[in-house]
Amino acid sequence: MYALVDANSFYASCEMVFNPHLRNKPVIVLTNNDGCICATNRLAKALNIPKFSPYFKIKQQCEQQNVVVKSSNYELYADLSHKMMNVIGRYASEQYIYSIDESFLHFKNYHHIIDDFHQYATTIRRAVYKETRLPVCVGIAPTPTLAKAANHIAKKLKHYRGVAVITNEQSRIDVLSNMAVGDVWGIGRKISARLVAQNIHTALDLANYPTGLARRNFSIDVEKTVRELNTKQCIHWDAVKSPKKQIYSTRSFGQRIFEKEQLLQSLSEHVSIVARKLRDQSSLVKYMTIFASTSPFDKHPTYKKAFHTFIAPTNDTSVMLAAVDHAIDNVFSNNVAFYRAGIGCLDLVDEMYQQQDLFTPNTDNGELMKCLDHINGRYGANTLKFAAQGIEHKWAMRREFLSPHYTTRWTDIPKINC
Amino acid sequence: MIFSLVKIEAGISGFESPAAQYKELKLNIDDLLIEHPNATFLGVANGESMNGVGIFNGDVLIVDRAVAPRHMDVVVATFNGNFSCKIFDGINKCLLSAADNYPPIDIKQSDSFIIEGVVTSSIRCHRPSRFINVCTS
Repeated sequence: MYALVDANSFYASCEMVFNPHLRNKPVIVLTNNDGCICATNRLAKALNIPKFSPYFKIKQQCEQQNVVVKSSNYELYADLSHKMMNVIGRYASEQYIYSIDESFLHFKNYHHIIDDFHQYATTIRRAVYKETRLPVCVGIAPTPTLAKAANHIAKKLKHYRGVAVITNEQSRIDVLSNMAVGDVWGIGRKISARLVAQNIHTALDLANYPTGLARRNFSIDVEKTVRELNTKQCIHWDAVKSPKKQIYSTRSFGQRIFEKEQLLQSLSEHVSIVARKLRDQSSLVKYMTIFASTSPFDKHPTYKKAFHTFIAPTNDTSVMLAAVDHAIDNVFSNNVAFYRAGIGCLDLVDEMYQQQDLFTPNTDNGELMKCLDHINGRYGANTLKFAAQGIEHKWAMRREFLSPHYTTRWTDIPKINC
Repeated sequence: MIFSLVKIEAGISGFESPAAQYKELKLNIDDLLIEHPNATFLGVANGESMNGVGIFNGDVLIVDRAVAPRHMDVVVATFNGNFSCKIFDGINKCLLSAADNYPPIDIKQSDSFIIEGVVTSSIRCHRPSRFINVCTS
């Protein structure tokens, strides 16, 4: 059996943990630079505040209806997620953390110990709320896809009270018949439209779709989904996380950039992020892209891109910074209001098995990078950094409605009235 | 005759500590103060009403959500939207202060009330901490 434990509007719930007077108010959380709405709590949902819409469009509605607006407090969310995952992980021998707010549990050979999975799910749910003050829903079923479906229903239908368990045919039908086919895990928008055109509307319709046809008409992945919905497990986790094949770092600016120096600083910041990620997974980059653009909503959108090939693959921040410095003139141009920039590492090779070039020796200073990572790992990110990254970031992420870092900064721990 | 060269190290190596095999893990203050790390948070006391149990303005409170509150425990309660540190009187269903001039607070049906956690310890810095300015308010 598998469980999927998933927090309810995680970002908004995190905001309510140390700010109890928000618990009975509508709360929304905005994305980077306070651009769009990325989370709404139950009361905000009840006001029909649309998720993912730009904040400026509903600003007035928020003010009229006394909606509490918060910027994304990633420092807080990361810490609370970590604690929540630890509590959830206590309830099974195997845990797969799927995202910041979702975790699968695998109950291998647990049927000897747990006779009532519904009771067990309720226990998990209560413990997570008691210990972290984060509300979660739990779906338990024989396969990951069904667990995800059960979780979806536990969230959607009130009378399930946050827990849905698929243990027999009846409970499977109850869950799947209440679910739109587009909400099934692994069914994207395009496939869902094609399915609906074939009169497949609910998850149950999809479960009854012949597997052979699913493969022929769609793909092997859709066939796997159909099998999973029929309690045959097809999805497995890799025991070891395989290294990423591409690494990107990109972000929009809090304030438009017009100066070359500032664009270079922000790109340097991205270089330091991707270089660190490369070193963390022992990869070297061969081919790097450097890009900057205006907003797609601008009148005359501009997108500029440059590439750099490293003859000797590298993960040394200073080597990569030199490449960006070299390429900046191909990306920057005057009189453009840059809104976004980033770095992408496209062609990665394993540090262990790299092919050396006879005429271009590798100039990486591995010891220095190790020292840099060690210091930043111990004393916090950006304790030690390259001068190219700059000190004062005028273009830094805008977070006007940021709550305190309650759990990660001494100056921010909550005040308790005595 | 065949000679083979053997490299001999002549550096100073010193003596192994006779205590080396008796080495134990260092004491960690977290082990003493935090029983449930995932369920514990820190707060800073703001006010004088708990002076009687030794909690003074600016002290750091260690609040554990995992332990069940018992009668007369020092707790952090959410009372009408604010965190308050009080003594929980489970028999008379009220929150008590530990100072004169602070009458007990009855918990009425209409109040939004929840015990956030139990204050398992509190810390007072007898010299100002470089992390927390004790005399803030």
